[in-house]
Amino acid sequence: MNIRIKLFATLREALGESEFDLSLATLVPSEKPVDVAAVKALLSQRGIDWHEALNQPNVVHALNHKVVFTDALVAEGDELAFFPPMTGG
Amino acid sequence: MSVSLQAGAIDVAAEYAQLVGDRPGAAVATFTGYVRDHSDERPVATLELEHYPEMAQRVLAELGEEAASRYGLSRWRIVHRFGVLGVSESIVWVGAVADHRGDAISACEFMMDSLKTDAPFWKREEGQGGAQWVASRASDAQRRARWREEEQA
Repeated sequence: MNIRIKLFATLREALGESEFDLSLATLVPSEKPVDVAAVKALLSQRGIDWHEALNQPNVVHALNHKVVFTDALVAEGDELAFFPPMTGG
Repeated sequence: MSVSLQAGAIDVAAEYAQLVGDRPGAAVATFTGYVRDHSDERPVATLELEHYPEMAQRVLAELGEEAASRYGLSRWRIVHRFGVLGVSESIVWVGAVADHRGDAISACEFMMDSLKTDAPFWKREEGQGGAQWVASRASDAQRRARWREEEQA
């Protein structure tokens, strides 16, 4: 299973990437549905900077353009974005 | 009725004319937000707005629809800019047409308070001492929460 990851603002800057495809193959055989928390844990293994950036208490997760909690389930082809609180207007 | 995400300047007069059309209804309210020349006493030279285009389009359209159903709007419009903006340039414009002034004014306030915290835009200010991301404000979250409480009441 592959999903698209997007990062914005301070997270994009801290991690040096704005978007990429992520394979969830290592998570899928567990037969447990894959949720946002599992994807976050997988990305956090990329290094201490990833762990710190993604686990800040105010990080917002958007799945297919909708803000979700970490228990939201992800499916093939989904787009999952991580970003700091929004400051528009 | 519609959303525009744009890099270019907002033509406020044209937006107003298009919102009102040839049937103004009874009450028209609009709000325009501009780039401030200071932030927490620090001078600001330019403002950069990063955005998540697909999500911003969706969130703003949903906010407009929600405003329309809450306040019985016959027309609404949200225009939000992205990219690099200079001091005194317009950032955002919202407009609402309703039967009564209270509904038109409240709809604009609802759209503004909601988009500040719910629409995926991030401001970075460039000024003395370099660029700095703008932190979200507790006061903005409180203003947003008021509308949710009203909804539940």
